[in-house]
Amino acid sequence: MVSLNLFLALAAILFCIGLYGVLTRRHLVIILVSIELMLNAVNINLVAFSSIGPFANITGQVFTIFVITVAAAEAAVGLAILIALYRNRSSIDVIKQDLLRW
Amino acid sequence: MISYTADWSLLTPEIVLAAFALLIFTIDFMTGVKGHKPFAGRLSIVALVTAAVLMITVNGTQSAGIGDTFLVDPFSTVVKVMILLGAALVVMITMYYVERHEDVYQGELYSLILFAVIGALIMVSSADLITLFIGLELLSISAYCMVGFKRYRKQSAEAAVKYIVLGGTASAFILYGMSFLYGLTGSTSLTVIGGQIGELFQAYPFLIMMSLLFILGGFAFKMSVVPFHMWAPDVYEGAPVPVTAFLSAISKIAAFAVVLRLFFTGFGGIYEEWAFLIAVIAALTMIAGSLIALPQRNVKRLMAYSGIAQAGFLLVPLAAVSTVDLTISVFMFYAVAYMLMTIGAFAVITAVTETAGSEDVSAFSGLYYRSPFLALGMSAFLVSLAGLPVSAGIIGKAWIFIHAVSAGYLWLAAVMVAATVISFFYYFRIIHRMFTQPGEAEAARTEVAAALEPGSLPAASPGIITVVAFSLTGTIGLGLVPFILTNWFTGLTWF
Repeated sequence: MVSLNLFLALAAILFCIGLYGVLTRRHLVIILVSIELMLNAVNINLVAFSSIGPFANITGQVFTIFVITVAAAEAAVGLAILIALYRNRSSIDVIKQDLLRW
Repeated sequence: MISYTADWSLLTPEIVLAAFALLIFTIDFMTGVKGHKPFAGRLSIVALVTAAVLMITVNGTQSAGIGDTFLVDPFSTVVKVMILLGAALVVMITMYYVERHEDVYQGELYSLILFAVIGALIMVSSADLITLFIGLELLSISAYCMVGFKRYRKQSAEAAVKYIVLGGTASAFILYGMSFLYGLTGSTSLTVIGGQIGELFQAYPFLIMMSLLFILGGFAFKMSVVPFHMWAPDVYEGAPVPVTAFLSAISKIAAFAVVLRLFFTGFGGIYEEWAFLIAVIAALTMIAGSLIALPQRNVKRLMAYSGIAQAGFLLVPLAAVSTVDLTISVFMFYAVAYMLMTIGAFAVITAVTETAGSEDVSAFSGLYYRSPFLALGMSAFLVSLAGLPVSAGIIGKAWIFIHAVSAGYLWLAAVMVAATVISFFYYFRIIHRMFTQPGEAEAARTEVAAALEPGSLPAASPGIITVVAFSLTGTIGLGLVPFILTNWFTGLTWF
């Protein structure tokens, strides 16, 4: 039996990697992938709690299904917006998107 | 296992609205890609008003629910009616806007607005983490598409990218916080979580606090509250004007309503732990929003910072809680006022920027001589936003102020006054411009010189006039007779 803490630590590390990717990478596709990484960290958390948590029940896995579905929708919209941006600017480097600033 | 009898009739307004949204979506692709589709806009208004009427007649002020998944109580009903009527006004602005833009796909925008509204309704009604998340994402994903709707405009695409990257990150933060709440309680129901939160905080103070901070951070983004406000000005500037109106009025109020429900029902047991935190965030938001608004020249950007400052005012009741019912009454009055004046102001901004072809503040120069009605309406909205008599804004602000003082948050009340005084400068700068004729030098300097000729009226359609008249009646009316709402609100048991 693997302890719950290991799963939580794995999820925390994944979440941090994802956040680091969002904050530092310049390529928009990688940024979207990093967001998916953060959402998958949440899924690991939920599934771990759902099977070996202090109050293990099925609700967490149902929640995970919803998270996966919504993440797919978000990725689809994200890629569509990315294509729109590429057609306008011929670049998806986030550093170069500087039309709007205060 | 929780067993419940599901009374699906509680969902009637949402189901009707979803049916209309799909109908509009279908009619849209059956009538071809090109061309104006004013019927889709009219149908959306019919759908929203029908849903609002159903909300009042079917749901009324009863308290019922489908488990904890979907709650119908006075709180959700009042917020939902507000959202539906506000969205109907936004659709009117949208109709004016799309008539002038050939490159926008006409029908899709209306069905996206309706889907976003359904998301907001579900979110406001939910007392369960899963439903809450689904509603939130339905609202957010529709909003991402709406922001990028003018896809041949560089700014619109850039705004959409910024919005989806930051919005997706915020959603991940909210979810990460929620996953710990679920893990420690074994339930996604806010009432169950709320019942255990006190003991849990004793057992795992760090985990609960971390989960609270993650959720607060994510929702602070959705509410555009400092320090998570940086997206708002960029997205508001890049988005089409009616979408900006939607984001700053409807999306923001829905996020606030959800935060109230989450913090009172879910985290109510550890109120002492988060009240001060919210107070600090509210103070920072008011000051930062007001100060950064001062040098802005783009009117949409200025409204974004003004909206950030207003979000700070809306947070004050949450920090200074006396009783839950009174706090929500105070919040709700200002939310109604905020929605009316923001949508009204954006209706005028749409008419002016579309006529002048520029979003610079100088587009407002001499508006009074071109269109007295729009100028007077805009002045009333700005006076109300600034918090001066006679308007709904001052009553709402005064009520929040008294509430904060009586709850013992004197410093927060002082910050409120300071932020209000700062806000006079940028609101009155626009009013001053509207009532002075542009000088020769300035007319020559601005690119919008042609549109500033005294004879050139902003071509305001009946839709814009209706929105301004409705918001004006509400803003002034609530300033003169606030007791209609305040008496009714204070008598309600919200949750």
